[in-house]
Amino acid sequence: MPIYLDHNAGAPLRAEAAAAISQLLTKARGNPSSVHRSGQRSRRMLEAARAQVAAAVGAEARQMVFTSGGTESNNLAIFGAITATSRRRKIISSEIEHSSILAPLAELERRGFEVVRVAPDSDGRIDPTRVLAALDSDTALITLGLANSEVGTIQDLAPLASVCGATGVLFHIDAVQAVGRIPVDVAALVCDLMTLSGHKLGAPAGVGALYVRDAARIAPIAFGGPHEGGMRAGTPNLLGAVAFGAATEAAMNSMRDESDRIGSLARSLLRRLRESIPGLRLNGPLSGRLPNTLNLTFPGVLGESMLIALDLEGVEVSMGSACAAGAVEPSHVLRAMGRSIADARSSLRISLGWNNTADEIDAVAETIPAVWRRVADAEPLSEVSVR
Amino acid sequence: MKPRVLVAMSGGVDSSVAAALLREDGYDVVGVAMRLAPEPSAPASTAPVARRRGTCCSHDDFEDARRVAERMDFPFYVIDLRADFAARVVDNFVAEYLGGRTPNPCVMCNREIKFDRLWSRARALNADYVATGHYARIEQGADARFHLLRAADDSKDQSYFLFTLGQDELSRTIFPLGAMTKTEVRARARALGLATADKPESQEICFVPDGDYASFVERRSDPSQLRPGSIIDSEGKRLADHAGVHRFTVGQRRGMGIASGERLYVREIRAKSGEIVAGPREELDSSGLIANRVSLVDDSIASGGELSVEVKIRYRHRALPATMRVDSARRAEIHFAALGPAVTPGQACVFYRGEEVLGGGFIERAITAQLAT
Repeated sequence: MPIYLDHNAGAPLRAEAAAAISQLLTKARGNPSSVHRSGQRSRRMLEAARAQVAAAVGAEARQMVFTSGGTESNNLAIFGAITATSRRRKIISSEIEHSSILAPLAELERRGFEVVRVAPDSDGRIDPTRVLAALDSDTALITLGLANSEVGTIQDLAPLASVCGATGVLFHIDAVQAVGRIPVDVAALVCDLMTLSGHKLGAPAGVGALYVRDAARIAPIAFGGPHEGGMRAGTPNLLGAVAFGAATEAAMNSMRDESDRIGSLARSLLRRLRESIPGLRLNGPLSGRLPNTLNLTFPGVLGESMLIALDLEGVEVSMGSACAAGAVEPSHVLRAMGRSIADARSSLRISLGWNNTADEIDAVAETIPAVWRRVADAEPLSEVSVR
Repeated sequence: MKPRVLVAMSGGVDSSVAAALLREDGYDVVGVAMRLAPEPSAPASTAPVARRRGTCCSHDDFEDARRVAERMDFPFYVIDLRADFAARVVDNFVAEYLGGRTPNPCVMCNREIKFDRLWSRARALNADYVATGHYARIEQGADARFHLLRAADDSKDQSYFLFTLGQDELSRTIFPLGAMTKTEVRARARALGLATADKPESQEICFVPDGDYASFVERRSDPSQLRPGSIIDSEGKRLADHAGVHRFTVGQRRGMGIASGERLYVREIRAKSGEIVAGPREELDSSGLIANRVSLVDDSIASGGELSVEVKIRYRHRALPATMRVDSARRAEIHFAALGPAVTPGQACVFYRGEEVLGGGFIERAITAQLAT
């Protein structure tokens, strides 16, 4: 079995989620909207799952809209917000967001909206005062990630909490990478909207949620039925929701211990890699980061080569984002943090998760330096073209 | 497990079968598709239109290669060599056209990318060999020297494009299709159930899919680099004007913009002055050529002074009997046994002896054409 170190892209299915699904696969039937008792049973299961997911971020079940995943939640938050506040024409975000934020913003820009993308510092932190400085009476939405998927930087969003309700602007937080790894609370953050994703927590891909504060008004983006409080038409993905609920509950129950354990594995890996790879650089801050995420610049090599060489050795990591054909592109997050194209092309993301063991980390601490030496020797960055 | 081999896969039938045959032979096959061509940038104002497949990045061809890898159960990756390809192939292609020569980018791509740049990637991935779907053969002689030979299928032979390979490159290269005919390759692809079995041949230069080289060169150059000028005859009489020397190839007839009683061909391109010398067909004949950047498959053959060879001056031409001599600056002087056709500067000229490729170079100029009487 390969050693899987790409949990920020998607975590393996948790046993609790698998158990919930397999029970449902054989026993359940009935549309949760149906009147008959099968439908009522489905509805109960759906609502129980909703409560499990809501509890993870201190929300009420009624405030959670199930979606097909983080991307749909982000689209619903963004397009739903600007549709509901139709006169306002400005959105504030940052340069380091996930593509499911950046692509909708680019589309809105194309439609004539003004988009302000705040630049991060060299550790990937967004200065909240710069967000506030861009805020005006034309602003419809602030949308920011709580924890960055590529470098793991956690943002300090507390200074934004007071402003949002007062000025009439909607505040959306993409918490996909944060939930289940660090404490997240909608009341403490005082946000209007929050995105959650199932498969980052150990549910299957294809299910997510959007938290919508009671007072927040957004418009639906898909029409067809009264499902999900009118926010998201379409028969709910009961199987996905139930797995999402089970995975979330499992993640929350073990979060404190798991985060400590994963954090110490990650720190140990970083320490050992630094000992054997001179010039290795950690991207992102030393503290105020997700415990599981290491974004590393490997001196003198292409990340693409490292990624493939490691895969052939049974170690699965990632780099930036993959294009449709499966080739890797350098991380826009690292570029925004001021790294050169060459540095961005030399960087890999290693993200640990609930099922990684100390033995795996021991093995990887040997494999990665060996692969790095081979790649640096065979295909030095100084002899290839980079752009 | 046999050695690891990195197979360059284009998504076509040839490289698909090459990879599949190696896999059947028990090699530890790793397939790679190379992103090479610079991508045309879409204007930012265009509305996104959903397109399932067929854009540059979600290339159908890569998907075809991926399906072959899945079918034959070996790992497959798309690798991004666009920057290397631009620096080492495309820039050269543009510079050659601007300099009044007609480049052969496939030769450069083999030399610079497939058998050099890709080899460093192969070593990084712990591979011992690079394999491609080229139709050519490599044999090792009793003296342990490697020989590059024409393909068994003469109509598909691609040895012309591979003359830059030396002993080092040949020792680490596998051409699984060298002994097969195209018909056999397709039959094999079908028997293996490969999705690429009946794909049509690709013809054009991969990074100029519309075949419009002149526009490509113009897009990738500064206007000040273009050399417009006059078309003249061999007496120096001005016949017409033209928009740039990069639009011409020695030996071409079309596109001269001249209404003349006799058929005129491009005889010479003078990049510095911008002059295109045109003349009737018989003025194009050549008695030989000078080639530069000559490389030999086995350097030991050059020690003997004058060599009798057959020379191919274009891929689709027949090889012409000739004598040649290589000097220490890697230039070769070649004299045809009989009068030869138009010699096109920039094209590759490849030296054969029977089935074997001895080496080749890039054509610098023709040796004074003898005017037909």
